[in-house]
Amino acid sequence: MKYKLIFLLVLCSTGFFACKPERLLLPSEPIKELSGNWQIIKATRNGTDLTARFDFSHFRILFTDSSYSIDSLVPFIVSRNGKWSFDDPQYPFTISFRATDSSAKTSSLLYPVTGGQRNLIITFSPGCSLNSYQYTLQKAN
Amino acid sequence: MKDQHITQEIAGPDRTKTSKRRKIAGLAWKIVGGLLLLIIVSCSMSIDSVVQPSSVNGGDILPVTLNVTITTNTTQTSNFMVAVLVPKIWKAAQNSTITFTSDISSGDQGMTLIPAGTPAPQGGGLDWPTLLASKIGNGGNLLPDYEWVAFYSNTSYSVAGGATIHATVSIKIKTSPDNLLFKLGYCVANSTDGLSSTDRYGSAFSSCFQVNGTGDLIDFCNPQLSTVDPRTSLDNDIITVTFDGGVQSTPLDNASQVYLCISGITDTGDSLSVCTQTDQTKMTPLGLNKWQKDIWPRKLFNLTDNQHLTGLRYYFTDPTGGIRVGYAGGSAPFIYTFRCQ
Repeated sequence: MKYKLIFLLVLCSTGFFACKPERLLLPSEPIKELSGNWQIIKATRNGTDLTARFDFSHFRILFTDSSYSIDSLVPFIVSRNGKWSFDDPQYPFTISFRATDSSAKTSSLLYPVTGGQRNLIITFSPGCSLNSYQYTLQKAN
Repeated sequence: MKDQHITQEIAGPDRTKTSKRRKIAGLAWKIVGGLLLLIIVSCSMSIDSVVQPSSVNGGDILPVTLNVTITTNTTQTSNFMVAVLVPKIWKAAQNSTITFTSDISSGDQGMTLIPAGTPAPQGGGLDWPTLLASKIGNGGNLLPDYEWVAFYSNTSYSVAGGATIHATVSIKIKTSPDNLLFKLGYCVANSTDGLSSTDRYGSAFSSCFQVNGTGDLIDFCNPQLSTVDPRTSLDNDIITVTFDGGVQSTPLDNASQVYLCISGITDTGDSLSVCTQTDQTKMTPLGLNKWQKDIWPRKLFNLTDNQHLTGLRYYFTDPTGGIRVGYAGGSAPFIYTFRCQ
C-alpha cells in the first residue's frame, strides 16, 4: 500500500513537471537582407534579353547597412556610389538609390527565391524613359 | 429510394420513345442554331477603293477616303468599325478624326476611339488592335513601330435584310513632323461579326506613303542595310547596331569579320571617333551576312559627366579597316540621332 502511494506520487509529480506552457509566437516576416556583393545574372531591354549580348559579368554592387558601392559600371539606375533604402524594410515594393550629390532614384523591386538563391529584380530606365531595363541580381560568390 | 423508383418508372416502357424524342429535339435545335448563326453573321463588307495622297508634309493632316460596300442577308443592329494602321509616332489615337456618310443615315456620322483593352466581338478575348494585328497583319511594314487604332460609330444602325449599303468614310490624321515612309492600312467591320471570317470585314493597304518631314528618314517600306534598336534612345542606353548584308550587295559580302567604325557627335559639336578593329568594335555574326553589335555609347566614347551625345555617324569595315561601307552601301556614313519622344 505504501509503495503504491509512493508510485502514484512519483507518477503525478512526473506528469505535473512534464507539462509546460506552450508559447505561441506569431510568424514574422524577416527583414530583407541585402548586405553583400551582388552581380547581374539576367538583363533585358524592352523585353529583349541582352544577358549574352552585352558584358555584364564584371558589374558588382556591394550593399552594406545603408550604403552601396558599384564596381565596373554598366547602364544602371545610378552611376555613382551612395545610399540605398527600402520603402518598407519588411514588405519592400521599391528600392531607392541616392547617389552622392544627386536626388534619389526609385525602382520597383521583386525579391524571389529561384533555385534556392535569393534574387533581386529591379526595373529602371538609365537613358530614354521610353526604354525599360530589368536586371536580375544574385549574390556573387 | 422513392426517387430511384420514379426514375425507373420513366425509364421503363417509354425509354425508347423518350430517347428518340430527345435525339430529334437535339437535332432540331442544332439545325435551328446553325441557321440562326448563318443569319446573324450574314453581313459582308468590302473596301472598294481608297483615296489618299501619295505624300504629305510633316505635321500636315493626311486626308483619306474609303468607299465601302456593306451587303446584308437579314436585319442586324451593329456599330460600324473603322481601323487604321499607322506609325506609332503619329499618336493617331489622339490625333485622328473619323466620320462617314451612308445610304441609311443623314449627314456626317461621328466615330469614337475604342479604348485599348476593349474585347473585340468574336475575338477570343483579344482587343481590337491585337486582333487586327493578328488577322489583318502589318501590310509589309518592316519596322515594328506601328499600331492599329480602331474606332466605333457613335450610334448603332439597324440594317434591313437583303440590302446593299454604300458608305463613304472620311479619315483625317495629323501626321508627326518626322520624315518617313509607311504602308498605311485600313479595315472596316461591325460590332457584331468582328473579324470572325474574311467576308465579314474589308481591309486594304496602301503602297509606300511618304511624309516629307524633318530628321533621319524612318523607312518602314524598304529593307535597311543598317538599323539601330531602340529607335528612341539616349547615350546612356544600350543600343543595338545591325548590319544586314543580305539587303544588297556590298564590298563586305565575303567578309569573315565585320567591325564598327563609329563617331559620336557631342552637344558641343565635337566628334569622338572609335574606329580601330578590336573586340570593342567587332560585330557578332547572326548568319546570312547579318551582323550585330550592342554598344553603350557613354562607355564606348569614355564620356565625362558633362559630355552628352546628340547623334552617331558610323560605317562597317573589314578586319583591316580598308573596306568601309556606309549608307546605302556608299561612302556617306549611316546617321543615328539620339531622341526620346
